[in-house]
Amino acid sequence: MSALDAPKAALAGLTRPEGWVLGVSVAFVLFLLAALLTGALGPTYFLFLVGLAGMYALLSFGLNAQWGFTGLINFSVAAFFGIGAYGSALMTASGSPIAGGFNPLVGLVVALVVAFALALLIGIPTLRLRADYLAIASLGLAEVVRLIVLNERWLTNGSAGVRGIPGFFEGWPVLSTFPEAMPGLRLEVVPGSPILLETAFWQASLNVLLVLGFAGATFFVLRRAHRSPWGRVLRTIRSDEDLARALGKNTYSFKMQSFVLGSLIMALAGVFYTHLNLYVGPGDLDPITTFYAWVAVILGGSGSNRGALFGGIVIVTIREGTRFLNDVALPIDPAPLRLLLIGVVIVAVMRYRPQGILPPQRELIWPSAVDGGGAPETPDSGVRERKGGGGDE
Amino acid sequence: MTVLGYLANGLVFSSIIVLGSIGLSLVYSIADFANFAHGDTMTIGAYTSLVTFGAVGGLGGAVLGLPYGFFVALLAGIAVAAVVAVGTEKLVYEPLDVDSIGLLITSIGIAFIYRAVIQIRFGSDFTRFDIQPLRPIEALLPYGVRVTLHDVAIVASAVALVVGLHVLLQYTDLGRKMRAMADNPDLARVSGIRTRRVKLWTWVIGAGLAGAGGVFLGLFNQLSPRMGFNLLLVIFAAVILGGIGSVYGAMAGGFLIGMINQLTPFFSAVVEAIPIWPGWLAAVVRSLVSIEYANAIAFVIMVLVLLIRPNGIAGEDAT
Repeated sequence: MSALDAPKAALAGLTRPEGWVLGVSVAFVLFLLAALLTGALGPTYFLFLVGLAGMYALLSFGLNAQWGFTGLINFSVAAFFGIGAYGSALMTASGSPIAGGFNPLVGLVVALVVAFALALLIGIPTLRLRADYLAIASLGLAEVVRLIVLNERWLTNGSAGVRGIPGFFEGWPVLSTFPEAMPGLRLEVVPGSPILLETAFWQASLNVLLVLGFAGATFFVLRRAHRSPWGRVLRTIRSDEDLARALGKNTYSFKMQSFVLGSLIMALAGVFYTHLNLYVGPGDLDPITTFYAWVAVILGGSGSNRGALFGGIVIVTIREGTRFLNDVALPIDPAPLRLLLIGVVIVAVMRYRPQGILPPQRELIWPSAVDGGGAPETPDSGVRERKGGGGDE
Repeated sequence: MTVLGYLANGLVFSSIIVLGSIGLSLVYSIADFANFAHGDTMTIGAYTSLVTFGAVGGLGGAVLGLPYGFFVALLAGIAVAAVVAVGTEKLVYEPLDVDSIGLLITSIGIAFIYRAVIQIRFGSDFTRFDIQPLRPIEALLPYGVRVTLHDVAIVASAVALVVGLHVLLQYTDLGRKMRAMADNPDLARVSGIRTRRVKLWTWVIGAGLAGAGGVFLGLFNQLSPRMGFNLLLVIFAAVILGGIGSVYGAMAGGFLIGMINQLTPFFSAVVEAIPIWPGWLAAVVRSLVSIEYANAIAFVIMVLVLLIRPNGIAGEDAT
């Protein structure tokens, strides 16, 4: 609201890193816009990228609820993401080895329920452990999940993956036929390079709307939760678990709640990914997915939801940028290049800015407490005067 | 194969795991963080020796079916792994101003950088050492043991390295300093031990052993850029099983995990044989105890050990 009322004041109120991020983001958006208008970047592919960025942001929100809020080192992000993806894929796909053909909403519910069960299954043994043991144990259990998905062919189709997944809005009243119903448009902004908007484009815009809905809802829930008394306990656990325990908090229970919440958000990201990509395979459970989410969170600033959003966009830029580079400029295999960039980003962040680019600062304080409302009012008259003024010394 | 055969295979695989787990445990106790780049240090050792062996060739004679050149390559692998680890410590870990969790996260980045560089240079395909695969030793075949001279060489070299480490830790000045530092770094420092130098030596020894483990892993199986990372969790399982900070625990843990890993086919034969009731449970158990889940079983054991004895088998009771 304040940003709309007084844009200049809002700009002046930014910290330096915030200003930088804003500047870079605006430049990046302009660059993408230019690429779109000249036809260098297909609008459908662009919307796919936006959807992917939203998905990584969602994944980072989930990890942020665990690591950023409570300090849980969860290295099983890929497992929850994969469970979400497989849960909804196996329920909805025509090529599913079990069930299949259900409404995507059923898939969503099933995926979340299975992720909830898995979160309890992984959380119960590991959340009592020391921080670094939790890291190792969760990575190990994620690997167990991956091996099960890879080897239990009767359930998951093994290494072939699941195909024939419908879009998320399949079976909905209006939205299921919306892409076909929309007319094909032909825009020509720059002469000679027309932009075609066809069924695939409308399909992709529906996906973007969906991920915006998911991510937006998650963002506001997490922001509210982080500022609530519940979130304050989590932050206390993160900085000093013994202190939280001394204050009479059942830290194990709080850690479990935060773990489950984060895991459900990761599964939500997986559900969206299924309907975006329309194919899931065991490769999606590769540990690299976990570390993508980690890079997004530590780059953005642990505990900061804005930072997680920013980190998600950076990840997609690295992921798709390396592919683009390989096509255009450097003949280097994109897979190791991506790995190298991720590694360099991790090391550089830990070396030069361990708190991340947008660490949570005012995010954690109720706005009314900052923007004048809650500021202590200066009394009109000094205390001494009111007391009768004994200015003797 | 007989039980004896599985045990023999387990011994060979254990030797490799032990080499990896000792280094991980040393770094864990002295540099005080879980080094996720340890597996990729093994990969560095393996690929260095691949290149060296390609360059120097066989050099005439052979011991235990392995040409002299291979041993030169082994030394090169150990040396380069150690140098890379020390360089990383100097360039990256030492200037960092973060806690042990921050170091853990950094080490993941380091692991990715190592692996990416190897993958850019060598591609992601599997390769092998240019050494003729041997036939199993004839004399042992009647007992159902199928090991080659190469396997004997792996076990012998691992035993030599482990005994060397034991002598170093127990009877030399450096070893005493290292043990002192693992016990209590601050106390070691005020006693006049140059802790920074001891830490560097720890990296040299830990990474060197990892490099050797990587070379043997390449000889035992194949080389690929992911070989180290894939083995990392198994090694972590071994270290945790043995109790973090205890080198001898890590040896025992590595031995056990390697055995369990290679004995999985035997276990699944046992599960097939014993009657389990009810039927669905039997089906579940039979499908889970199979060769595909050899690593998964190690991880589950690791988590169970953490639950029951958070300090491992040989770890101290209080932390």
